[in-house]
Amino acid sequence: MSGIQIWLHQTLLKGTAVAEFMRSNWGWPTIESVHFIGLTLLFGTIAVWDFRLLGMAKRIPIAEFHRLVPFGVLGFAINASSGSMFLMTEPNQYVYNPAFQFKLLLLGLAGLNVLLFYTTAFRRLAALAPGVDAPRSVRMFGAVSLICWIGVIICGRLITFYRPFACGPTEATAFVLQCIPL
Amino acid sequence: MFDPFFTWLESTAFSVWMRESPSVFAFPIILAVHTIGLGLLAGINAAIDLRLLGIAARIPLLEFRRFLPYMWLGLWLNLASGVALLIAYPTKALTNPLFYIKLALIATALAILRVVRRRALGGSAAPPLSGSGNMKRLALASLTCWAVAIAAGRFLAYTYIRLMVDSVPTPRPWIP
Repeated sequence: MSGIQIWLHQTLLKGTAVAEFMRSNWGWPTIESVHFIGLTLLFGTIAVWDFRLLGMAKRIPIAEFHRLVPFGVLGFAINASSGSMFLMTEPNQYVYNPAFQFKLLLLGLAGLNVLLFYTTAFRRLAALAPGVDAPRSVRMFGAVSLICWIGVIICGRLITFYRPFACGPTEATAFVLQCIPL
Repeated sequence: MFDPFFTWLESTAFSVWMRESPSVFAFPIILAVHTIGLGLLAGINAAIDLRLLGIAARIPLLEFRRFLPYMWLGLWLNLASGVALLIAYPTKALTNPLFYIKLALIATALAILRVVRRRALGGSAAPPLSGSGNMKRLALASLTCWAVAIAAGRFLAYTYIRLMVDSVPTPRPWIP
């Protein structure tokens, strides 16, 4: 793990133009605002679908929520880009941060969940008439998605409380281990 | 003028606990809850606004009222967590004009939601006005209010002058 962390840290440090902008007076707070607006777009459009899968608002044909997905994708794109800008500015505050590591893990799970949903369940759902419950196996996707995204938000907010101190670009750490607390 | 009030509030047991407890369930989790509430309330409202703007037009607009309870859940979570965060650092928020701008924007967004609920989500006996130009303007105004309120909330962490009642003022020469 540590080899990847050191490589990632040093790669991220190459984004010097981004880091310079982020260190300007309004850079960091502006991108943070963008990150939270993206979060809202992403979470809102996903949550309504998850709630529908779990049995809410049954009169809406399930597959119709598919039309809101581009806005969820837009929110994700906004957040992947703005998130990368934080990383390029203070890589050691993220690469060695256990809250950030868990956030990435949950993002991966959420991504896998979406992939499995579209490859296995979506085609069957598209044929379902309004007023019909999603099959029990498909409800799982909604539950996993909600739990993952709420977890992503919690871990994201906790990043600032688990900042590792004094981590240099060559210091080796294990997964979920703080670097060297001051 | 309000300094005696701030002094008192900052010395209450809850305020001290919020600021000084090493527990992750004090300040950190309450802050996280505030973000989850934001996602539920503003996020689902954004989905409704997008529908009003004509996205996913085949979803019966009326059905979106089923999601309202989750938005109220978000609202209550954020009222409670917001009050807790305010008690933790009252001087920080209440001496920053941006805090009042944030509250005004949230109040406006909630007022718009009230109109949308009554006129498009079956909140009254009047016939629904879905898709009318008026509704689209309201949806745009709602999206704008939430986006600016979110930005204002983030900037609160960077624009305060006084963190606590007796702390040294933070100079911010770039703030007009």
